[in-house]
Amino acid sequence: MEEAVKTKKHRRRRRAGDPVVLPDLVILGALFGLMIIGAVMIYSTTSYTSDLNNQSQFLKKQLLAEFLGLVAIAGIYLLPYNTIKWVGGRPMRLILLFGSLLSVFLLKTPLGKTVKGATRWIVIGPMQVQPAEIVKIAILIYIAGFIAEKKEFINTRTGFFHALAVTGLSAGLVYKISNNLSSALIIGGIGVLMIFASTKDWAKQIIGYALIIVLGVWFMISKAHSAQAAGQVDTLKFRYKRILVWEDPTNPDFYYEGAFQTLQGLYAIGSGGVFGKGIGKGIQKLDKIPEVHNDMIYSAICEETGLIGAVVVMLLLGTMVVRCFQLALKARDTYGMLLCTGVMLHIAIQTILNVMVVTNTMPNTGVSLPFISYGGSSALFLMAEVGLVLRVGRYSSR
Amino acid sequence: MEENKVPRRKKNRHGSPEVSMMKTIQGKIIIMAIGMVMFFAFLIFRTWTIMRDNGERYKKRVLEQQKYDSRAIPYQRGAILDRNGTLLAYSERVYNVVLDSSMALNDPDAIEATLNGVSATLGFEKDVVREYIKDHPESQYHILGTVTYDQRQEYETYIENYNATVKEENKNRETKLPGINAKSVWFEDQFRRTYPGGTLASDAIGFTTADGRGQYGLEEYYDDVLTGRNGREYGYLTAENALERTVVPPENGYTLVTTLDSYIQRVCEEKLKAYDEEHAGEFRENEMGADNTGVIVMDIHSGEILAMASYPFYDLNDPRDLSMYSDIQIDQLARMGGWSDEEPAEGESETEEERETKEERDAREESRLEKARQNLWKNFCISQSYEPGSVCKTFTVAAALDAGVIHDGDSFDCRGYLTFGEGSKATTIRCHQRYGDGVITLKQAVEKSCNVALMLIGQKLGKENFLKYQRNFNFGLRTNIDLAGEMRTASLVFNKNNMGITELMTSTFGQGFNVTMIQNISAYASLVNGGYYYQPHMVKQIKDSGGAVVQNIEPTIVRQVVSESVSRLMIDYCIGVVDEGTGTRARPAGYRIGGKTGTAERSGQGKRDYTVSFMGFAPANDPQIAIYVVIDRPNTASQENGTRNACILCKDILTEILPYLHIFMTEPLTAAERKELEEKGLKDTTALNSISENSISENEASAPVPMEEKPDIRVLIDDKTGYAIDPLNGEYLDPETGVPINGDSSIFQDENGNSIEIEVLKDEESEKPDPRE
Repeated sequence: MEEAVKTKKHRRRRRAGDPVVLPDLVILGALFGLMIIGAVMIYSTTSYTSDLNNQSQFLKKQLLAEFLGLVAIAGIYLLPYNTIKWVGGRPMRLILLFGSLLSVFLLKTPLGKTVKGATRWIVIGPMQVQPAEIVKIAILIYIAGFIAEKKEFINTRTGFFHALAVTGLSAGLVYKISNNLSSALIIGGIGVLMIFASTKDWAKQIIGYALIIVLGVWFMISKAHSAQAAGQVDTLKFRYKRILVWEDPTNPDFYYEGAFQTLQGLYAIGSGGVFGKGIGKGIQKLDKIPEVHNDMIYSAICEETGLIGAVVVMLLLGTMVVRCFQLALKARDTYGMLLCTGVMLHIAIQTILNVMVVTNTMPNTGVSLPFISYGGSSALFLMAEVGLVLRVGRYSSR
Repeated sequence: MEENKVPRRKKNRHGSPEVSMMKTIQGKIIIMAIGMVMFFAFLIFRTWTIMRDNGERYKKRVLEQQKYDSRAIPYQRGAILDRNGTLLAYSERVYNVVLDSSMALNDPDAIEATLNGVSATLGFEKDVVREYIKDHPESQYHILGTVTYDQRQEYETYIENYNATVKEENKNRETKLPGINAKSVWFEDQFRRTYPGGTLASDAIGFTTADGRGQYGLEEYYDDVLTGRNGREYGYLTAENALERTVVPPENGYTLVTTLDSYIQRVCEEKLKAYDEEHAGEFRENEMGADNTGVIVMDIHSGEILAMASYPFYDLNDPRDLSMYSDIQIDQLARMGGWSDEEPAEGESETEEERETKEERDAREESRLEKARQNLWKNFCISQSYEPGSVCKTFTVAAALDAGVIHDGDSFDCRGYLTFGEGSKATTIRCHQRYGDGVITLKQAVEKSCNVALMLIGQKLGKENFLKYQRNFNFGLRTNIDLAGEMRTASLVFNKNNMGITELMTSTFGQGFNVTMIQNISAYASLVNGGYYYQPHMVKQIKDSGGAVVQNIEPTIVRQVVSESVSRLMIDYCIGVVDEGTGTRARPAGYRIGGKTGTAERSGQGKRDYTVSFMGFAPANDPQIAIYVVIDRPNTASQENGTRNACILCKDILTEILPYLHIFMTEPLTAAERKELEEKGLKDTTALNSISENSISENEASAPVPMEEKPDIRVLIDDKTGYAIDPLNGEYLDPETGVPINGDSSIFQDENGNSIEIEVLKDEESEKPDPRE
């Protein structure tokens, strides 16, 4: 260390801000643990149904995205803190947010790619990106930058609704254009909870949001029920049907409405038991569970590694969440604190939604499990967020 | 090291909005973090409750819904070979092309490229496939058709090349070209029955239905032997509830080695075809040369059928195809199959005809075609009976000789007719020689085919004896040849109760009762082989798919029908028929053979219809094979023409197959005959005869000599090389199989013998370097 400090390079760094220290090893350790579990499970679930001569095609793509993610972490970690602040500053955060929302609109252009009836990807050269993932990181930076810059403004009515409106607009756009409720929920959740964290008020917001959630859920459930009672299930949109599926996944009427996926996921979890069937020995992944390498990967983990594996995964994700929280506490400025809070919320909300869907604790909607599910853009942007958290940690560690 | 900086900053911000805000945030996120961790714990609990509450049930459910992927592996139906191992029928491995629409739609950009590949290499219409995908987006299993291994290979290389090219090209492109989705079209093993000979031995072999069941002929008779058992690939659960896979391999069907000789068979069919071409439309316009024309060649010392052919043929590879016959010929076929042309007469029922809907017309047409097909598939040689006519005189004479009621040298007086019975029952039957044959010996009676002499013999023999011998010759019984569809004739011969004097009289010259071809030739073989009746058979060996012999089918002697001395006399009489009697035209140049002609009126068919035939054996000095040619309802103006044609057909066949069977000429050739042989590309084989005779005398002790041993091969051995020499063309032969060593110039491919020499010459030329170059 002493020697390192003496080098020219380091002196330049010191002038720029803070020293390069080892990044937070707890977060990195948990991240690598999740990535390894993810890689094993992706191979396990995809090799059987892949081409015989290219059984690791999914794994290779995922590892490439994760490698890019690691490069992003390193890059962000080495950036001066001012640059991070600059991104959350006045022109940049707006450019970022509008840019990300623009990418959502790109879905409506020929660049958009449709898979299984949903247009959720844009194709840029060799890469396919989900704009929703960009919006997640953009809203996180925007809200953090906005609140940190304006300070007390968030406690005014104008400030509060400004932030809330930006969040709602972004979530609404993602929901409307890519027809992706889960991403909209995550974007909304991140924004709303970050605003909630920065305001002094407790009761008004809690009551307000609780009221909206209860009313919304009650409305949807009652609409689904009334249609069911009237025997007009077919006229319902699939979201409402999925509520009925959630209530009774064994009802054969809903077999093709997602009940199949939910039910097969439950079978996988249930049949895994405490110790699981052994890695690679799952049966349900063989053409039974749709999207088993993606949204439903938690069910494959449960089947093959049992409750033990599930607990390990949840512990690692929990570690990430708690560590983000700790780094938020230690952060030296509001901006860094809010960045860590946002990333914590992102990881936590996405994990909770995913596991709730797979365990049929809530109606089915497509969410991937952070750092584990197959999906390049999700992994890349989540890791970039981890890079932000690590950078904030480096700033506060001097 | 930077301690001095930190407190300053803190001091600066003490009490500032920044700090108060951070405190607010810290207070809130503690609550959030606690809430989230609790939520995580709840989710683990939730996961555990699913396992606890439903674990066992779900475990069972998971195993229940596994289909264990039980997949049938098709067996290979056994092949059918001729006596030399030439393939007559075999099952070729082909592939069902299976389209998976839902897989194709997963990757919609690739559909166009995939369809291009499918249409370019597998030959399926692009639009048809595209329509199917569009109309059945959920379908995962739709068989587009069947392709061969080569086509499959071609398709797979196409995909490989295409995808490689696309990959290469995509490196320099903005918008990527899609590759071929190999999973949307896949292949499934299947076998297709193939008959390399096409129409060759169609009636004897039979064919298989699409689901692999044999129809007609050997395919049907030996269906259970040829059929194997499907294998299965399936999964099962071990004691530890793990899914294991296992494969039960398929059991392939057994291979039949038939007694047929594809060369002889081919010669017979060529001659039948040539006969038909020559005589089609000769008397009745546009009809075939005859309703049916049949030939059987049989080894008289074992009952093995060397060739069995009947015209019209059909293509075994496409048995429903009638395109080789004209509409009128199809009518003819359908009529024979029992279809009656019920077209209402013109005029009176015009309205009725108008009322006939299109469907009805189509149905009628379909029934007509179906009748025609069924008749085509029927094997005339075993499945159709007819009145045999004069060829049966040999049986009457043999029976009378064997019973001792007449003797060689007896004479009979033929005055042109014979009247028998008394009073009002008196019946007169004419001889075909209107003014009578005069006083003739027994031998002359056979030679001239004298009806009166035969009736006199019949009177001596008596009803009881006649019926006894008829039964001994197996008439009225099935021969039990190993072919499907042999006709029962029990009700078509007379018995004690329904045979009166008239019936006895007509029966002596082969009218009034019905036989099948196979019955007749089997009985005739026993007359000329020393009196032993062999059960005719088609299959001599059954092998498993690995080539191991499962069963050898030996010749079966059913009974001795006449004594050896009677047999010798019958041989003599039959030689007389060809030497100076009615059958002189049947003698192939350079040979001496025996035989008997036959002409029978077809009862109920009007006067002009006959069944003409020639039944003979060769060679005269040592009978080896019997041949029987039947022309049923020949398309000729007169009966004489018909009979003559049967003889000529027989001669044409024998001319080509006798040298092949290593039976050599014994008779001097006339100039005309030499010219005729030259035209046919055959040689005078008289010179080879002395060697051949030696060999026969060597083997006489162990008679009957099986055909396949071909004893002369052993004698004609090249001194230098030690190989056997084919007497026909001087080629070296494999001592064990008798197949030419010089592979491609096979005698099976060439019926003239001519071109074989040219081929040999060519070989020599190509080996020698041309000095001019």
